[in-house]
Amino acid sequence: MGDNITLTFPSSYQWLNMIDLVCGEVTAEMGFSHDALNEISISVIEACTNALEHGNGSDTNLEVRVVFRREPGRLMVEVFDCGKGFDYKNYMNNIPDPSDIQNQRGRGIYIMCQMMDSLSFEKLPDGGMKVALLKKIDDTGGKNSD
Amino acid sequence: MKIKSRESGQVTILDVSGKLMGGTDADVFRDLIHELLEQGKKRIIVNLSEVGWVNSTGVGILITGYTTMRRNKGDLKLLNVSNKIQSILYVTKLNLIFECYDNEEKAIASYS
Repeated sequence: MGDNITLTFPSSYQWLNMIDLVCGEVTAEMGFSHDALNEISISVIEACTNALEHGNGSDTNLEVRVVFRREPGRLMVEVFDCGKGFDYKNYMNNIPDPSDIQNQRGRGIYIMCQMMDSLSFEKLPDGGMKVALLKKIDDTGGKNSD
Repeated sequence: MKIKSRESGQVTILDVSGKLMGGTDADVFRDLIHELLEQGKKRIIVNLSEVGWVNSTGVGILITGYTTMRRNKGDLKLLNVSNKIQSILYVTKLNLIFECYDNEEKAIASYS
């Protein structure tokens, strides 16, 4: 419990900077490499962007909650929104080509998949969606290759 | 996000500062690109030296600028891309789409 950090913010882009700063502090303190630190930060920002845009519809009355779970050898970040969720199983089987410049949007989940060790989605029974991002620390502080 | 525009010969350089993400940023950037096209300015360099990070929405904004310019026989190139932004371009393979430079003179010369 004492190793968890929880932040809650209204669904507005201005708070993403705060998340980025806290993410940088947490990952640096845990000993992640600079590259891994960047990958975690980029991915958490993507998850928060999705949460506030798609989950909460940019309604500033709705909150996004971010929990950093500092565990031995790994960091789990959970991002919660208040939305109805989406068909993530179908989406994960049909992720758009990120290099297709005809698509202005739709790269966030692909980026998270590439940069984190695991990514999972869960529709919560009381409403809302949880995205869980996991990154392991390897001997060099970077991404675990297994 | 803030944008200042300046000229170097036939090339327009957009000095972007702050964070490039969603919200009004997309409208501001799109409107500016269309204004430049109306003025016949089609050789664009987006200087990202003062942009700490973008999210995928911000990358989408750059893509819109790029595709709009290309449709109008222009081009949009990137200058001074940070490590974080490079990571996003690389992982999405958009580094194969965008011409990126770390030297302004070379970026300008690429249009000659």
